[in-house]
Amino acid sequence: MDIIETKDLTKYYGKIKGIENLNFTVKKGEIFGFLGPNGAGKTTTIRTLLGILKPTQGEAYIFGENIEDNIVKIRSKVGYIPGELTLYEHLTGRQFLYYFSSLRNTILPLLDELLQVFEIPLDRKIKSYSRGMKQKLGIIQAFMDDPELVIMDEPTSGLDPLLQQKFYDFLLSEKKKGRTMFFSSHILSEIDKICDRVAIIRDGNLVTVENIETLKSKRGKRIRLKIKDNPARFRGPRDMKILDGWIEFVATGNLDYWMKEISKFTVVDLEISDFSLEDIFIRYYRGGK
Amino acid sequence: MKDYWKTTVIFTFLFSGIAVMYAVMYPTFRETMESLAPSMVKQFAWIPGAEDMSSYVGFLNIEMYQIFWVLFLGMILGFIGASLVSKEIESKTIDLLMSNPVSRKQIIFEKFIGLFPMVLIINIGVILTLVIVTTVINEEINFYYLFLTHLVSIPYFLAILGIGLLISTIINEKMKASVITIAIVIAMFLFESLSQISSDYKSFGLISLKHYYNPYNILKFGNINGTGIIVLLVITIWALIIAMIYFEHKDIKI
Repeated sequence: MDIIETKDLTKYYGKIKGIENLNFTVKKGEIFGFLGPNGAGKTTTIRTLLGILKPTQGEAYIFGENIEDNIVKIRSKVGYIPGELTLYEHLTGRQFLYYFSSLRNTILPLLDELLQVFEIPLDRKIKSYSRGMKQKLGIIQAFMDDPELVIMDEPTSGLDPLLQQKFYDFLLSEKKKGRTMFFSSHILSEIDKICDRVAIIRDGNLVTVENIETLKSKRGKRIRLKIKDNPARFRGPRDMKILDGWIEFVATGNLDYWMKEISKFTVVDLEISDFSLEDIFIRYYRGGK
Repeated sequence: MKDYWKTTVIFTFLFSGIAVMYAVMYPTFRETMESLAPSMVKQFAWIPGAEDMSSYVGFLNIEMYQIFWVLFLGMILGFIGASLVSKEIESKTIDLLMSNPVSRKQIIFEKFIGLFPMVLIINIGVILTLVIVTTVINEEINFYYLFLTHLVSIPYFLAILGIGLLISTIINEKMKASVITIAIVIAMFLFESLSQISSDYKSFGLISLKHYYNPYNILKFGNINGTGIIVLLVITIWALIIAMIYFEHKDIKI
């Protein structure tokens, strides 16, 4: 059974499009990436799935239950980290977790483990927490009662690189336990690191749903170099550009071939960088509006 | 709800304090009140029971109940009711709250129920205070009528809370919702006062919640307006039902 399934899920805010005809499925036990630039409709999708917004058209099922009919039942098995995380600032971390467990589930099998991984000053008021501490508290509340599915809306924002790494490790260990996770992000590299499959969304429409490995293989490296010779003598791919003496092209597939080509010249300067999300749109999905 | 614990304590003390202040002031004011010319008294005709302001009960009625209880506490509870849902939407905590397995109807209902203790505790606090202070200053008041006055004020306050809550589900900004609710409480107070002054405006009072709760009649004579209580409860229930239906279908944008 699919954990999440959407059928032409559409949400308009009046005449303004939020999302349109989304069709995707999330399978049990996978980390499903939901990738898109800011304003693409990621948060709209998530908030619609959770029943906070009402779909304009189409439908969605979580655990096989229709979100419009059985949202309360669904929510009892779903953890959620909102994109704009705001907590009850007048409570302490402990009071907050206690309040939420009283609304959800009084048995919290994962709490101790979570508190060890993500340390927070439980007895201080949330008001005094740093952005990172709040985010950690958000992570703890989402996972503490061992939900089958966790939906995360850009959960790494506000975490420093060290904590981000801790969080990725945590997610991967949770995946091994069979937990299903829906992970939205606008950062390609983190989707690469942890997700099994990814849906790419842009301007409210789904661009593609692919395996991460397929997506990676489609991607090239962006190469910029300066050589002592006349740059025009370098025989690059068809879309090679020369700008201010810099040779620019995208190396797809055989990177080794290009390294050997480059080594035939005297290299003055060289930059190799990853594809950005925009590059993917422009190159593969003709979305470069 | 624990969130309102502090507020409850503060307002219990505040209103008990106001009650003590007027009760203690009464002996000094009695003569002044008695010597007021009838034409002066007539100036207060918009307040029910004004003609009796030289008695202890009448004095408490006009100073304490008609103004502080009916109007000010009404405004305060209206403010609190109006912030119940709007506060969560404005501060965006609603997202996390709604990720829990609670239905939207439940959220509305529990928010409303959560304010019961506050209304009860403020009432009990003021009753006890007045019983004690009245005994101490050796004045007379019928304690049973006093109890009834407060008991019947509960449906009045629930109706205000219900209306506040309804506005709170419709308007997402806490301040705006609260200001509107307070304006409604004040407007209803004015309508009822207007209807007291002139029989031309008699019917104006009918749309005022205050019309259905007259502390003077209860405190002085033990007269309870049964229809009034029913009207107040019906208004409360309808406000809640409409709030639930509205909230059930609302898109919560943040």
